[in-house]
Amino acid sequence: MSVERRRVAGQAVQRRDLFEKVTGAATYTVDVTPPGCLHAKVVRSSRAHARILGIETSAALAVPGVIAVVTASDLAALFPRFGHIIPDHAILAMEKVRYYGEPVALVVAENIVAASDGAEAVQVRYEDLPAAMDAEAALAPDAPILHDDDYGASGDESFSEMAATPGLPDHGDSPPRTNVAHTVDLSWGDVDAALAQAHIVVENRVHYPMLYAYAMEPYNAVASFTEDSLHVVSSAQHPFMVRTDLARIFSLPLSRVRVQVPYLGGGYGSKSYTKIEPLAAVGAWVVRQPVKLVLDVEEAIYTTRADSAAITVRSGFDAEGRILARAFDIVLDSGAYADNSPLVLAKAVNRCFGPYRVPNLRVRGRSVYTNTSPASSYRGFGAPQGALAGETNLDRAAAQLGIDPVEIRRRNLVPPGGEILPGKRGIDADLPADLELVAESLQRDARTVPGHGIGVACTASDAGAYPISTAIVRVQTDGSVTVLSGSTEMGQGSRSVLAQLVAEELGVPIEAVDVVQSDTAMSSYERTTGASRTTTLVGLAVQRACADARAKLTEMAAEIEQCPPESLAQGDGVLESADGRKLAFGDIISRWFGGDAGEVTGVGTLRRDGRTQKMPPFWEVGMVGVEVGIDPETGVVRVDQLVTVADVGFAFNPKAVEGQDLGAATQGLGGALFEELVYDGPQLVNPNMVEYRVPRMTDLADKIESIVVERGDGVGPYGAKGGGEGALNPMGAAVANAVAMATGKWPSRLPLTPERVWRLVNDLPEVDAE
Amino acid sequence: MVLPPFALHRPTTTAQALSLLAEDSVPYSGGTELLLAMRMGLIRPTALVDLKRIPEMQEIRTDRSRLLIGAGVSHDRLATDPLVEQHARLLAAAEREVGNARVRAQGSIGGNICFGEPRSDVATVLIALEAELGLANSAGERSVPAEEFFLGPYWTARDATELLTAISIPLPCAEGVYLKFQTVERPTVAVAAVRRPGGDYRVVVGAVGEVPVWADYPGVGEVDPVDLVGRTSPVSDLTGSERYKRHVTEVYIRRAAELLAESER
Repeated sequence: MSVERRRVAGQAVQRRDLFEKVTGAATYTVDVTPPGCLHAKVVRSSRAHARILGIETSAALAVPGVIAVVTASDLAALFPRFGHIIPDHAILAMEKVRYYGEPVALVVAENIVAASDGAEAVQVRYEDLPAAMDAEAALAPDAPILHDDDYGASGDESFSEMAATPGLPDHGDSPPRTNVAHTVDLSWGDVDAALAQAHIVVENRVHYPMLYAYAMEPYNAVASFTEDSLHVVSSAQHPFMVRTDLARIFSLPLSRVRVQVPYLGGGYGSKSYTKIEPLAAVGAWVVRQPVKLVLDVEEAIYTTRADSAAITVRSGFDAEGRILARAFDIVLDSGAYADNSPLVLAKAVNRCFGPYRVPNLRVRGRSVYTNTSPASSYRGFGAPQGALAGETNLDRAAAQLGIDPVEIRRRNLVPPGGEILPGKRGIDADLPADLELVAESLQRDARTVPGHGIGVACTASDAGAYPISTAIVRVQTDGSVTVLSGSTEMGQGSRSVLAQLVAEELGVPIEAVDVVQSDTAMSSYERTTGASRTTTLVGLAVQRACADARAKLTEMAAEIEQCPPESLAQGDGVLESADGRKLAFGDIISRWFGGDAGEVTGVGTLRRDGRTQKMPPFWEVGMVGVEVGIDPETGVVRVDQLVTVADVGFAFNPKAVEGQDLGAATQGLGGALFEELVYDGPQLVNPNMVEYRVPRMTDLADKIESIVVERGDGVGPYGAKGGGEGALNPMGAAVANAVAMATGKWPSRLPLTPERVWRLVNDLPEVDAE
Repeated sequence: MVLPPFALHRPTTTAQALSLLAEDSVPYSGGTELLLAMRMGLIRPTALVDLKRIPEMQEIRTDRSRLLIGAGVSHDRLATDPLVEQHARLLAAAEREVGNARVRAQGSIGGNICFGEPRSDVATVLIALEAELGLANSAGERSVPAEEFFLGPYWTARDATELLTAISIPLPCAEGVYLKFQTVERPTVAVAAVRRPGGDYRVVVGAVGEVPVWADYPGVGEVDPVDLVGRTSPVSDLTGSERYKRHVTEVYIRRAAELLAESER
């Protein structure tokens, strides 16, 4: 299947934000300072787990310029927590702290230096509690318990629909309490019987590292109260979700909370849901002046990280390598607060076993509280963790059976339309064909020399999140168009894509389209910007808004021309009358309203019905191959080849698709080879960009091929479906598989740092005995 | 953290600068280390003495049998300067790989040395080239061999009231290779292996221990990696355990010696 070529959609148009961003003119939250703005600094916990005995603020208040020191006791009149699944997250620590770096107080001052000096002068007295610094410690029988309350947690409908099974927080009514924040189980068939009859059973255990998304812009927020309304400018991916949390905190109607998001300096999931907006807002609420809070990278790392994982997988295969059964046990280290980890867990459960025919399945997933920085969404959403287990397990089976790693996947991949999750949407992609593209490209340039290895890995993610979108298009009297969408431009290029779509649908020049986004007061509603959904789901809403505008214009033209609406033909920016006259959109508006004024508003909505009834809205394909070369003396892994398939249905902007695909693969390479947050005692050893090593240009593969595949098989406009996360998901597994081929040894832990590979090659233990 | 307030002095002569230096009034050039340390609250000087407007601190010249480099010269200039390339190719090569582009553009050789960062590329190379470091204070001047300058991590022979004015490298300059194993911002181990003007060989091992160590050998074939590794004091950190660091140090000494031997064939 191929896609139709179009006038604007499908063209590599120049990004709308290009010059603004390159010249530094683009506005980010850090650039916003309203008149009378005060500046805040957070006092953070110096303990991993401790009872707060007292907070001494008088020295801080004596610092010149300090206006107020806000602590949890000031929030008695408010709902003092947030969290969209489990509202466990204290804005400011109450009674106890649960991780090093947790906000304990907020110092508000006339300038940032005074705020910093004030923060240093705040004295917090603690009584240390035993800490559970990793999931294993947190699951131990005598582990210290982080949370004594279940906070009335309940997954809403959207949450249970995004999980394959509607798991709920596993606290129940009866003691004893545990540190399990959430459990998700998924199963079908009879795994034990199938494993008993399998030709081979392959078991392995993997560890996926604790990661930081490293958006170049850390978390920032500016909050102000006017009359009884709260206005927050913030670096949030989901302003409407943040609005809900803020409205609950201050008992305000949603309409009196405005969350506005300028450009985002990268999100990668790390800016989804509420972060520091409540801190800035309670500061503004106490002092009744605008308050600005700007975090540095270290503070950002202590605000959100990705869930690390320990996963055990057991799979049974027949003699031909066909999967008979798979069993997974997933434990996520989710840190001190749940945030979005329950959903990350649900997705890890759905995604770990891969896009294969798995006749018998059992997955047990647990998200565990630990006394570490809270984990939440991260590009890929549980898929990279699960894929490391499932896809290395598949290569081990292939090796045992003497089958090529590509061939064993060929034998197991679901065909187009095939079901991965029972009762859910069948796969809207041709995975076997995608796999051949990767294999061909890798083989073409492969070097069969010692120390070299090839690895492939496949994933399919139930993506798109929950389909709720709205869009508004406003056609002006000059024929230009303003598009309102609640989605966020966070670097992915949605502003350009939505402009392309409107230009295409209404037949107007792309230069005549302006897109206004992510403002809960001024743009239309959007549930989230994540799960690779904007082009597909917002796209559908925008497409419907365009159709609505055309329908209204047709009615208006019929009225002023005194002709039946059916007699008017649809053209580019015009309607054509039966006698061949072109009626420009702007002229129709001017004539209908009279007085050369007015506008036409088209509204588009999207919910779970029709083509977006079945969940997930679409599947996101992750299909990558790498070739690595290893220096056996140092263990350094060099990537020679990187091949990715961007199976996006229809590429609105092929250059942007390639950029997203390569970006995702490179971020995946980070977790595969370099990145890991390391705790030593209560605090991180490397909460900074010098010691937390992200990929560099020089780490990129010598050969990079990003194959954009367009089969028009997505649910979105023109057959589009989401991209931008896919290539990250299988990267860790693909690199591990390539290293295994190169060394003849199976790695079980990422990142594959030089020392880890050296130890692997030389059969040395992961760490030396003391 | 936020940069705390400080006074900024901008002298135009070395004498003026010296009169301004004190325990809490510190030299400032590129600021690539100093400002970070101040932001992190590690130091809080009341004044910075900006050296960038002192012309002789920016000079690169030859004087009889020495190459003289002003302490304020940036890494970038050293990496591309024709005189340095002509007389001290090894230094130019090492400077091309210091830190990152921003550090090279901003950071000065003098600041690099005086910060006493144990993983300094420059320190390893200057010991290999037997550089002399010129120090001055209001009482007078003295010269310290690079070998004796680095006393420990972030600790050098420079007194707080002294200013490093120039780096002096004897000519003809030793030639050889600079090889480093680096996975993060700074090297895990750095090896400079050179043939000295007198015909013997020196291998300097930097970055892996608290201070660089070195040994001289009559022939390149006599370089003893195991012995030299034994003189280092590696500490486990995120870039490797002590065991791994000893191993890669040995590998890099051997590789450097082999490269040097090859270059002479």
